[in-house]
Amino acid sequence: MSDILGWLICGLALVILLIAALGVYRLPDALSRQHAATKAATLSLSLFALGIGLLAWDAAWTWRLILLVAILFGVLPLASHALGQAAATPGDPE
Amino acid sequence: MTPTLLFVVLAGLAAVPGLHRLLVGPTLADRVIGLDLLFAVAIILSMTAALLSQRTVFLDVAIGLAVVGFVATLAWARLIQVRAGGESK
Repeated sequence: MSDILGWLICGLALVILLIAALGVYRLPDALSRQHAATKAATLSLSLFALGIGLLAWDAAWTWRLILLVAILFGVLPLASHALGQAAATPGDPE
Repeated sequence: MTPTLLFVVLAGLAAVPGLHRLLVGPTLADRVIGLDLLFAVAIILSMTAALLSQRTVFLDVAIGLAVVGFVATLAWARLIQVRAGGESK
């Protein structure tokens, strides 16, 4: 039961990652591409960590995954904010 | 382990637009966005490697990738802003 749930959550995470990649490819300007890449990728990474944690039902895996998700949640908003400011900078040089 | 190989294929498919943005993105910010997406794909591939080999070492690799990706994105974004501000002056 936990295995099937884990596979499903991992698959959902990869679908969300593909949607993020599609957004990065299709959206018109840098600011909206940043929006697609950062938010959807954060959701995808945390869902994938949850799925892996369900698949490998083990304390060593769970603690490492909790640490990984905590680092991602602490760190990705800061990176996204800086990236958004850079994308909104007028006269961005080539 | 067929689903795991499917994961690898899907994550590799998601890396293609990131590589495209990294190589041909019209502005510098687009290239950093591509790099960010590639780091996300790398973290997912690393977790998949941990699942395939049943070793927790690859989860430590994923944690290191997350930290390095954060520092890289922050440094590049700051560089873009500083450069644009310096040119407008």
